[in-house]
Amino acid sequence: MNGTTTIAEFREAVLDPAKRAHYRLAWLSTVDHKRIAVLYMLTALFFFIVGGIEALFMRLQLAVPNNHFLQPDTFNQLFTMHGTTMIFLVVMPVVFGLANYVLPLQIGARDMAFPRLNAFGFWCVPLGGLLLHFSVLAGGAPAVGWFSYAPLSETPYSSSPGVDYWAVALFVLGIGSISFAINTIATVISLRGPGMTMRRLPLFTWINFVNAFIIIFALPVLNANLAMILIDRQLQGHFFLPIGGGSPVLWQHIFWAFGHPEVYIMALPAFAIVSEIIPVFSRKPIFGYEFVAASSVAIAVLSLGVWGHHMFTVGMGRPLDVFFAISSMLIAIPTGVKVLNWTATMLGGRIRFQVPMLFCIAFLIQFLVAGLTGVSHASVALDWQTKNSYFLVAHFHFVAVGAIVFAVIGGLHYWFPKMSGRMMSESLGKWTFWLMVIGFNMTFVIQHFLGLLGMPRRVYTYPDLPNWGWMNMLSTSGVFFMSAAALILVWNLASSFFRGKVAGDNPWDAWTLEWATTSPPPHENFIALPPIRSRRPLWDQANPDRPDPIVGENSAAITLPDHNKVGILTFILSEAGFFGALILAYLYFYARPQAGPGPKELDVPRTLVFSVCLFASSFTFWRSELALTKQRRGSMLGWLALTILLGGIFLAGQGTEYWKLFQTGVDLSTNMFSTTFFTLTGFHGLHVLLGLIALLIFLWAAWEGDFASGRGSAFKAAGYYWHFVDVVWVFVLLTVYILPFIR
Amino acid sequence: MQTSNALDPQSPLARAIYDLGIVSGVVFALIFVIVTGAIIYAIFRFRARAGEPDPKQIAGNRKVEIAWTIIPFMIVIFLLAMTLGAMNRADPPPAPSPDLVVTGHQFWWQVDYPGSGAITANEIHIPTGKPLSVRLESKDVLHEFWVPKLTRKMTNVPGQSNHIWIQADKPGTYIGQCSEFCGAQHAWMRILVVADEPSKFEEWQRAQLRPGQAATSDTTAKGLALFQTSTCINCHAIRGVAGADLRVAPDLTHVGSRRQLGAGILENTPANMRLWLKSPQHIKPGALMPDFNLTDEQLNQLSEYLSTLQ
Repeated sequence: MNGTTTIAEFREAVLDPAKRAHYRLAWLSTVDHKRIAVLYMLTALFFFIVGGIEALFMRLQLAVPNNHFLQPDTFNQLFTMHGTTMIFLVVMPVVFGLANYVLPLQIGARDMAFPRLNAFGFWCVPLGGLLLHFSVLAGGAPAVGWFSYAPLSETPYSSSPGVDYWAVALFVLGIGSISFAINTIATVISLRGPGMTMRRLPLFTWINFVNAFIIIFALPVLNANLAMILIDRQLQGHFFLPIGGGSPVLWQHIFWAFGHPEVYIMALPAFAIVSEIIPVFSRKPIFGYEFVAASSVAIAVLSLGVWGHHMFTVGMGRPLDVFFAISSMLIAIPTGVKVLNWTATMLGGRIRFQVPMLFCIAFLIQFLVAGLTGVSHASVALDWQTKNSYFLVAHFHFVAVGAIVFAVIGGLHYWFPKMSGRMMSESLGKWTFWLMVIGFNMTFVIQHFLGLLGMPRRVYTYPDLPNWGWMNMLSTSGVFFMSAAALILVWNLASSFFRGKVAGDNPWDAWTLEWATTSPPPHENFIALPPIRSRRPLWDQANPDRPDPIVGENSAAITLPDHNKVGILTFILSEAGFFGALILAYLYFYARPQAGPGPKELDVPRTLVFSVCLFASSFTFWRSELALTKQRRGSMLGWLALTILLGGIFLAGQGTEYWKLFQTGVDLSTNMFSTTFFTLTGFHGLHVLLGLIALLIFLWAAWEGDFASGRGSAFKAAGYYWHFVDVVWVFVLLTVYILPFIR
Repeated sequence: MQTSNALDPQSPLARAIYDLGIVSGVVFALIFVIVTGAIIYAIFRFRARAGEPDPKQIAGNRKVEIAWTIIPFMIVIFLLAMTLGAMNRADPPPAPSPDLVVTGHQFWWQVDYPGSGAITANEIHIPTGKPLSVRLESKDVLHEFWVPKLTRKMTNVPGQSNHIWIQADKPGTYIGQCSEFCGAQHAWMRILVVADEPSKFEEWQRAQLRPGQAATSDTTAKGLALFQTSTCINCHAIRGVAGADLRVAPDLTHVGSRRQLGAGILENTPANMRLWLKSPQHIKPGALMPDFNLTDEQLNQLSEYLSTLQ
């Protein structure tokens, strides 16, 4: 391109597929799931190096006792950034990237259900990363740990804006993750190829599909918590500050209600990878497909009810301690079932020890260790010693690195040929593998013992107690092996991309659909799909003499649900989690005695009148929708305008309520009631406002002549959202306005 | 040797957890050996050899699946029962009134003995052979009280009282540490628990109740004057010194008799006391005690006064 491009030429270049493929902005403006996937993974790789360097500096500081290499505050910033980076900017983007690439291919789809939303979700990652790291320039990175426990994370104890950047960054990243999850669910439900029934889904897709639901439930809860801490810090709220009646323990409840599912959000994709690689390299189907699939669902469900095992030392009381001990121990069962199924898949196979498989075998053993030490954190009494010690640090690094990172690197070696068309070097891969295995175990095995010897986590230095010195030195030494492994991995990726052996369509003799197209696949993925009658279509193709048994009925025409509908319903589910957390926070403080203004300040009759307006607007929207299907344009426009008017009246009513409260000197910072009241109703009001804006856009579009055909699944989707906002108000009304009368 | 080794429990409370650890450890080791054994067997037995066709395609076995769902379930029930027993032994319900109140501050511990009225910091003296009821509080952020050899760990939560028991079978010094990240100097928020025979403990407690008494000399008198006229007195209490009754920072009544300074960062020697007073921010950056830029002469006076304060 030269400097004299006209806009017409520019448009032509962007719109013409042939030219677009070569256009240099194509990678930035892409909505192709494969390119977005690669962007996700490259971003993750970049932050992996950043987070790795942070870890290296920490281990250097800890190599010897009483070290002065780093200032305490620097060290505290490093471990906060390391944890946040590795979780939100490395593991999540890389597993999303892999799923983004492979999942649509495995189900025979051309792309994800919402390609633009997909691009949006990706771009949230660099934006979030930028916001998080901007804190370094704005007065210092956050130094409160990745779970940012209140009240240390509150303004009196952390006055620099690091925590604010941290919270905003995670909010943005959370929105990105949720949009990815919505996309995944809609893609799997609505875009499966002919014959690809839910029971025939490859396990990689199945497990990522289940995972998307955990994201939908968990991330909005984090976002609610982040909103609350930002309200505390920026608007003088009191959620987590004991001085104003707030509760630091509530922060922990909400954080871990997100935080433990988050562990599975990162681990399930690793299970997904392993469930794909082990069968292919053992030359056998997965042992117990149904059990691996069902155990993933069991893990997902249980994962939402185990968060309290992070809180066995905060004084929740015996009944809650026991409840969470039971739920946390139960989750070991489906996890154990998985490990045994993977092992059984290997037994009786013809195992090929190529690099992807090597990583999966190391995954299996290391994950077994992680799972067993994990049980010791579910066992309350053991947790009373091991928690917050290096034993815990060792445990979760066995999960995060020993299991997840190993599986992901195995997955990269496995799918790289599909993505690039070239094989990765097998010998460099083996170097990566052995250096990783040695370095990882050298660093983290010994940390279990350091913890038992009484070394707490998150200390920038430590006294020279017996054995602590050499153990820490050994731990630090392992980092150099891991660093070398990482460098070799990056070199292998780069050099193989340019000079690797040409891969062909199916270099591993694998059986799922992504191997039925070229490497890399064309823009729309497939020229033609092979027949899908079992879980391994390519096995059937290669072994016509002994095909897999047909799974389920082979109905020719399955009508898949509309992806707009699936998308909006999933989105509503995520919003329900967000409001659920806010309502629970309201009730948590409502149950405590408190001085100052309370619900008695509220004007209930007036609010009931305005509420009726809001509820009526659901009815008017329904009439508008009806008019649309009957193609009565005038009626549709009228009812829609009325809907907007009613919504506007409701907002005006809320405005009056706020104004009256301000007049009597009640604002968000007055007491616990005002903090929770304004937060809950404020976020609802914000959602009504956004809904109104959306409806206005629809009104404008309909005015201009859109929806003339009477079809409008996007319009219906907006309707679902609008009804949802009303339903939320029912709950808010009951909680805030009606509950005091019931008492 | 003073250690904080959880594998060397020195009280029935810590031993309850240790015993559970041993039982669980054996169970975990067995599971590890069996599963890893199966993996290693597969690696050697089922290695692919060139030219071999794909093996028999076995896709699962329902009976096996049910078996290995039920067996872990039984193991879990067993561990759960063991856990509940250990919880009761390691953490009985609190006594009506505590023997000790331990309050976390950024970055030191205040220790109150409500029975006698004694107050100290960072160094807890207890009599041997007797379980003591401990109430845990916090003045600012979350802290966590952890003395691995003697008892469970427990968080100090601001605005909420938590409870543990503590006990030591034998006389000795046991090391502990704040284990919940609490800010810049979390690393140096250490605890010493000194267990003595009951008679010796009583003697210590009586000594603690006496007003602070420094060596009498011209230097220490000037040191005391300095303590009173500069800002020391705004945060530190010394019983027997007029006006010195604020406990924002550690009570210094018997500071000379303690073993460590700065919650474990220095041994308590006169030279170290001088070093600490010269620049606490150099020794413990981020601690709440600022540098006062005292002259050498003032340093001598103040450190001699405090070092001899018994």
